[in-house]
Amino acid sequence: MKIKSVLRFFVSVSAFLLSICSFAQLPSVKIDNLKGEQINTNSLLDDGKPMIISFWACTCKPCIQELDSINENLPDWLEEADFKVVAVSTDDARFSAKARSLAQGHGWEDFVQLYDKNQDFMRAMNVSVTPQVFVLDGKGNIVYSHTGYVPGSELELLDAIKGIE
Amino acid sequence: MNSVFFIVLAAAAALAPGSSKSSESGSWLTGSFESNTILYHQDNKTSAIVPDSHFGSNNYLKLDYNSGKFTAGLQLEAYEPVLVGYPSELSSAALTNYYVSWNDDDFGITAGTFYEQFGSGLLFRTWEDRALGMNNALMGARITYNYKDILSAKVIYGLPRFGMDISGTQVKGADFSFSPSRLLGLNNIYLSLEGSLLNRYEWLSADYELDGCKSGTTGFSGRVNFETGGFYFKGEYVDAGEKYYYDPLYDGSGNMYLKKRGNAQLIETGYNARGLGIGLSLRRLEWMSSQNVNGNPSTLNMLNYIPAMCTQYTYMLTTLHPYSSRTGDVGVGFVNSGEMGGQLDVYYNFRRGTLLGGKRGTKVHANFSTYYTIAREGTFRPGNLLFRDFSADMEKYWNKQFKTILLYSYQEYNPTYGADNSTWKSHIAVADMLYKFSKSFSTRLELQYLHTLSDKKDWVAALLEVNFAPRWSVYVSDMYNLGLTKINYYNGGFAYTKSRTRLSLSYGRYKSGYICSGGVCRQIPAYTGLNLALTTSF
Repeated sequence: MKIKSVLRFFVSVSAFLLSICSFAQLPSVKIDNLKGEQINTNSLLDDGKPMIISFWACTCKPCIQELDSINENLPDWLEEADFKVVAVSTDDARFSAKARSLAQGHGWEDFVQLYDKNQDFMRAMNVSVTPQVFVLDGKGNIVYSHTGYVPGSELELLDAIKGIE
Repeated sequence: MNSVFFIVLAAAAALAPGSSKSSESGSWLTGSFESNTILYHQDNKTSAIVPDSHFGSNNYLKLDYNSGKFTAGLQLEAYEPVLVGYPSELSSAALTNYYVSWNDDDFGITAGTFYEQFGSGLLFRTWEDRALGMNNALMGARITYNYKDILSAKVIYGLPRFGMDISGTQVKGADFSFSPSRLLGLNNIYLSLEGSLLNRYEWLSADYELDGCKSGTTGFSGRVNFETGGFYFKGEYVDAGEKYYYDPLYDGSGNMYLKKRGNAQLIETGYNARGLGIGLSLRRLEWMSSQNVNGNPSTLNMLNYIPAMCTQYTYMLTTLHPYSSRTGDVGVGFVNSGEMGGQLDVYYNFRRGTLLGGKRGTKVHANFSTYYTIAREGTFRPGNLLFRDFSADMEKYWNKQFKTILLYSYQEYNPTYGADNSTWKSHIAVADMLYKFSKSFSTRLELQYLHTLSDKKDWVAALLEVNFAPRWSVYVSDMYNLGLTKINYYNGGFAYTKSRTRLSLSYGRYKSGYICSGGVCRQIPAYTGLNLALTTSF
């Protein structure tokens, strides 16, 4: 009986999800930058550049692996398209200092680093598991996203960015 | 349960066409759905728990509608029934969270359920962590104001969520932040001075009143944040108000409850430069458990955030004895007012082309964490060792295809939570190897060994993962106790990912122990079963 009701629930949710389109945009949320100052996520659109937004955490190994891969490919990718990378740490207050050190130790200086210590931005973007990566155009429309990471899936990001232009 | 969901889904679907035109109008609907279902079965070898239903399922549906400065959202949760090991307060289906909010650049107002945190959360935090079953969102209202980036203020009032209900505890609070460096227009330094006040009111029974305990208590915190040229310093002092603990030695005379005053000190400092990150945290806690409902033993019963400040590992054998912070224990013959200790982290990236960096760079990291009981209440004197961990890891790409991570960890864990000074000492070594056969085909192998003379003695573990990017991932793993139990904890499964949807199916045997997330742990019993998990967002 229980199984049946859960299955029914699954089917109804799936049907609903298929019926809607994803035209979501960048929500406006206040979040800490690298210095600890509060900024509004709207300001990410100031330069009008497309961006990759990656939600990560110190305890999420695939997230770190994905950001490392993006970082490694960045010089080559920037030759093909103009964009920026925003790395959003979803670590709680206990790890936000550690997350800063880890980002430096992994050489992520070229990323815009944001620290979402009570997960307000994460919730507003409806991220329930990390890693989750979004590609946004210069106006803040979400044009691509994926969840989870296995080596090689970062290659879809460049295609998504090139698709904007 | 289904009728509630159907109504909401229908309403959301009605809104959806609006969202498809949203790019121009600035309004859109987003949401997410998460489901975790386990079919349990008998396993005499591990004395696995099998609930009467043989089945458990935790489900979450979240929807948010955005239109300009206006946002509204809701969350539905269904536990049909709740998974084994989760807090028993979570049951059946309900509309648990809902809110409306209006925000512009300076002002913001939220009504309904919301999450909030003052400073590092030591004084007050409401948050959600589905791995723990935690959601203590405040049902009430919040007003925020900021003047440029110089001044900001928040005022909150509400009743926290507890399980599927809202508790009767009233929480009132205010939080302020002022930045003199922004006022003076300084660009190369950042300084902010912050403070919070929190009043918690819970009607307490006559027993408490007889002992002079009050229903309302007020706490506060003061903080300073400073940053210049890669150096940072954060300091926080917290007075968490009065706490009442049942005295196990109460014999009918005198007071039934012990009155304590919660306090905490936290320092976080460090230096970050290109390729180098150093961080030091020092923290002391005394009677810092802030409860939603006084005296309730549930793991959900929290109004603040006291995480274990040490490395949180992900490798199987490194997490057998995780540390949980001690926020004050009152037992027969043992009273410990809290904990004190710290951790140091060093991250360094040996760049490409250097001797240790090789052709592709080498990343190294070391952590040292150590925590003690407080020898005498009200002092800074350390007592018995609670937990100690020294770990070092190195990550290196040997060529374009082959990467290794090597980790060593020495852990000392006190199974008596500091009642005496006995500890379990263990040495853990992990080799994590990734080989990329092509751009989309890779394999990963983990080999792990734990050596200890305590508890269940030595363990060995291995995991093999095969990945076909960007969609498929398959794994098998086993954890085997070489010492006392000689039990295999096998596991295997696959995951399929498409865009923002991930579906995974796994089967395995899980040992009793702890699930930790964000430095907070909950105890889980042993179970064996088939696990189906789905997450998606849109």
